[in-house]
Amino acid sequence: MIINVILSLISANLLIFIIFLSKKIQKIKNEKCVLDQQLVQSQKLAAIGQLSSGIAHEINNPLAIINQEAEISLHLLDSTNLKFEEQNKELKDSLSQIKIQIKRCREITHRLLSFARKNDPIIQQTDVNALIEDMALLVEKEAKLKSIVLIRKYSPELPLINTDPPLLRQVILNLLNNAMQAIEKEGEIFITTSFNPSKIEISIKDTGSGISKRNLDKIFDPFFTTKPPGKGTGLGLSICIAIINKLGGNINVESKEGQGSNFIINLPIFYTF
Amino acid sequence: MENMKVLVVDDEGDFIELFVKRLKKRQIDIIGVESGYRALDILKKEKIDVVLLDVKMPGMDGIDTLREIKTKYPLIEVIMITGHGSVESGLQGMIHGAYDYVLKPFDLEVLLNKLKKAFERKRLKEKA
Repeated sequence: MIINVILSLISANLLIFIIFLSKKIQKIKNEKCVLDQQLVQSQKLAAIGQLSSGIAHEINNPLAIINQEAEISLHLLDSTNLKFEEQNKELKDSLSQIKIQIKRCREITHRLLSFARKNDPIIQQTDVNALIEDMALLVEKEAKLKSIVLIRKYSPELPLINTDPPLLRQVILNLLNNAMQAIEKEGEIFITTSFNPSKIEISIKDTGSGISKRNLDKIFDPFFTTKPPGKGTGLGLSICIAIINKLGGNINVESKEGQGSNFIINLPIFYTF
Repeated sequence: MENMKVLVVDDEGDFIELFVKRLKKRQIDIIGVESGYRALDILKKEKIDVVLLDVKMPGMDGIDTLREIKTKYPLIEVIMITGHGSVESGLQGMIHGAYDYVLKPFDLEVLLNKLKKAFERKRLKEKA
């Protein structure tokens, strides 16, 4: 009888213990899953970064030569007396077009190079609220024209952090610009900052079109874009995540199609390599 | 801000004149020019730490000038000045290595603080 009671007590406790353990395991599994995803993402970025910066570098030199030759040709056309005025004009137009297209290519190669820039961040003590506000002011005029309202919720006690200010500015401006494009017309962008003892959090949330589940996994991939050809290089967000990773932080996205998106940046207060 | 040398580039002559006067009063060594071409000429001769650069200029615009400066003198820090706040030019500026943006009209103290931070960064880069 007593043995039975003891046994049932043990088994009850054992059951509780097993439930506790399995919950713990599930939690660790989930965390591992997130970490694995981040690892794959950062490895993928590193590989593509290396490849693309190599290509960008190699293409820049021939581009520079083509540009120079086009300039020389334009110059020659100006100084020679061509009989046929109409052909002369057509030649000039076509050379100018070459120059325009070279500029476009150079824009892409520069973005690629900045994406994979090897130099280490320069760390300065930074007031993140002020940094974000500067970028908010920069987009506000354009936002007003589209009836988009920026709503700030800056934590007044946000600590200064050690980070690379121009790199962080680039990310904030990119995310604000994306938020504006996702809204198109009439909507709100919420900019929030908060912190805990080791990290600060920046959230940029819009009431725009949101991201479909299918696209959510791909938005940080280089060259992934939902914009029509020529309207976006698809490098914006991949540059953002590469920068934030370099600064010791991470970006998470919460989004549902038709219900807007929330981009959440975590950054360490004390930066270490 | 000791020993910091600043170059300001803006096509509005009146703005340059007043601005240079105000910064000299604050003991800042500063030169002003009215075009991107002139700015590149100055950089050949003078050792400049921070360039304040107007985005919208006729001829060689702010972004083209920024690109030239950053290619030839990567250590120099550039702060872009903009009157209209275009997001696209803002993004281009940041991608091509601008340190910061300042919207016209600006508060002098805010600008001085940005200059100080840009100069600090240049010194850190020189040490690295």
